[in-house]
Amino acid sequence: MTLLKKIADWIDLRIGVREIVRKELTGYLLPRNINAWYSMGSILLVAFALQVLSGILLLIYYVPDADKAFNSVSQIMNEVPFGWLIRMFHAVGSNMMVLALLLHMLSVLLMGSYKRPRELNWLTGFILFSLVQGISLTGYLLPWSQLSFWATTVATNSASAIPLIGPYLVEFLRGGVLVGPPTLGRFFALHVAVIPLLIAALIGAHLFLLKRTGVSTPPFGQPDTPTLPPADSYHYEDHPGGIPFFPNYALEDLRSIALYLACFLAVLFFDPYLFFPRDAFIPANPFLTPAHIKPEWYFLANYQTLKLFSNELIGLSLQGAAMTFLALLPFIDRGQQRHPLKRPLFLACFIVGLLIWVGLGIWGHYS
Amino acid sequence: MANFMRLFSLIPLILIALLLTRPGLAQEPAEIICIQCHSTLPEMYSQPIRLWRGSIHAENGIACHDCHGGDPQDAANAMNPQRGFLGAPQEPDIPAFCGRCHVGVMRDYLASAHGRALGKGGPTCVTCHGNHQVLKATLELINEKSCSRCHSYERARTIRAAMQETEGLLVATETRLNDFKKIGSNTEKLEKELFSLRNSFHSLFHNVNLETVNKQAARIQLELKKIQAVLTEWDQAGQRRKIAGALAVSVMLLIALLAHLVRKTFD
Repeated sequence: MTLLKKIADWIDLRIGVREIVRKELTGYLLPRNINAWYSMGSILLVAFALQVLSGILLLIYYVPDADKAFNSVSQIMNEVPFGWLIRMFHAVGSNMMVLALLLHMLSVLLMGSYKRPRELNWLTGFILFSLVQGISLTGYLLPWSQLSFWATTVATNSASAIPLIGPYLVEFLRGGVLVGPPTLGRFFALHVAVIPLLIAALIGAHLFLLKRTGVSTPPFGQPDTPTLPPADSYHYEDHPGGIPFFPNYALEDLRSIALYLACFLAVLFFDPYLFFPRDAFIPANPFLTPAHIKPEWYFLANYQTLKLFSNELIGLSLQGAAMTFLALLPFIDRGQQRHPLKRPLFLACFIVGLLIWVGLGIWGHYS
Repeated sequence: MANFMRLFSLIPLILIALLLTRPGLAQEPAEIICIQCHSTLPEMYSQPIRLWRGSIHAENGIACHDCHGGDPQDAANAMNPQRGFLGAPQEPDIPAFCGRCHVGVMRDYLASAHGRALGKGGPTCVTCHGNHQVLKATLELINEKSCSRCHSYERARTIRAAMQETEGLLVATETRLNDFKKIGSNTEKLEKELFSLRNSFHSLFHNVNLETVNKQAARIQLELKKIQAVLTEWDQAGQRRKIAGALAVSVMLLIALLAHLVRKTFD
């Protein structure tokens, strides 16, 4: 104990570690009425870290070559010690991360935490969401299975609907006229280097913005401080009567993370094939189109929307417009009220929108 | 306000607009010329297409030109002998026609009583297997209705009974192998072994010597049981993984509970 204290004193003398602990952990106060939904960010940080870790382990054996990719994944699954666990961890983890991200965004929407002065927090979060979609899509191709090949073929082909530049964009994405070895190279580089770096940078920006604005007071329960109207100048939202981050909220974070991991591990060990159709384990064959190519569950609503319109440009434009609207929501919805029950129009739109999204997804799955 | 409502109801249709999938957008390969033309012709010419669609050949991607030759991409030369078009073979030529791919089967057939009667009223491949709706070779092909067209069923019945158990084991092994394949297990080596055993087994179909059939069937069953043993090991590994998973989930739930209880003490 004395030795540990000596080491702590030695470090504290040099970098003032006790002051950091006081300021950022025990002295970092959060709203007294904070709820479990505020843990979604911590869950996502853990989920991203696990994806990076399992991704690095997969890189040891994965070969990004069209002739060898499928066999290398098969080797990981069947021959590498605990390779199946690492691969499934990565694949199931990506789906769980998207689910957690959706829940995080939905809770932020419902609690109005995107509102002024947190527009940039929302915007960076929204870009992060898009990047996570992108990293999932690029990762989908890497096993070079029938599912990978044809899902990427149809996904990249969607870009051809864009007027004028569409065909060039498709060729740029694929590195050729058709999906082939150059596509694998591009997607691999995007998946393991470009997008992870962008995600890390955006996470940094997101946390920086959180640190500068302070944690928002939930619209539910008894707040520790009165809600003030947005200031005209920079204002940090502190919570003098709040609870310390450590140990109080750190324990709540730990509980949420452990529950998330329990769900994740339950899927991983008991039904990992929930996210894998049969075509996911058949090598890519450019000459054999599978009967039914369905996207991942989180793209099913978009997939069905496209099917509803005979002109795919209309379908794409509609979704582009909806996405833009959502990204710019904090600049459109300027009201100060954050409690969902006191925003009936918002709440109605939220519920209807969610039902439409789920409905389209189910329709897309069974269509 | 109404516009706002309408726009807002589209919110969940977010995701990356340019990275969507749609089956209709897939560049599916066009059907070969043979199918395009024959599908539109009268029954006599279009029937082979319909029959072929339900065949094991269609299932394995073996199309018209693979047997009949010709150029399936060029309408003008689709049936040009210079492009290898063979047309339909005469009856005595059928075994050689099929035997270009099924070499071993042709050898077995020619050595059998059936093969020795070729050209003398004996059956050819298509008599039992069909021509366009070629079915997967199973023991079901030996049946009273089919065999009785030419001779008594008694001898065939005895042979079929002797092979029934092996057939059952073959089918069960294949089903289990497919189940493992669906979840990403590397079944390639076992599939090759099974393929080889099935071929050995099918070569017995043309044999009429009961003693040989019994001896070979016993050997094949022994080999199949070795494959089954490997699959049982895989099953057991799967069970062990589930037990480990249950432990891991329990640990996480315990941590969550502890964190919750400790947090409560701060209230």
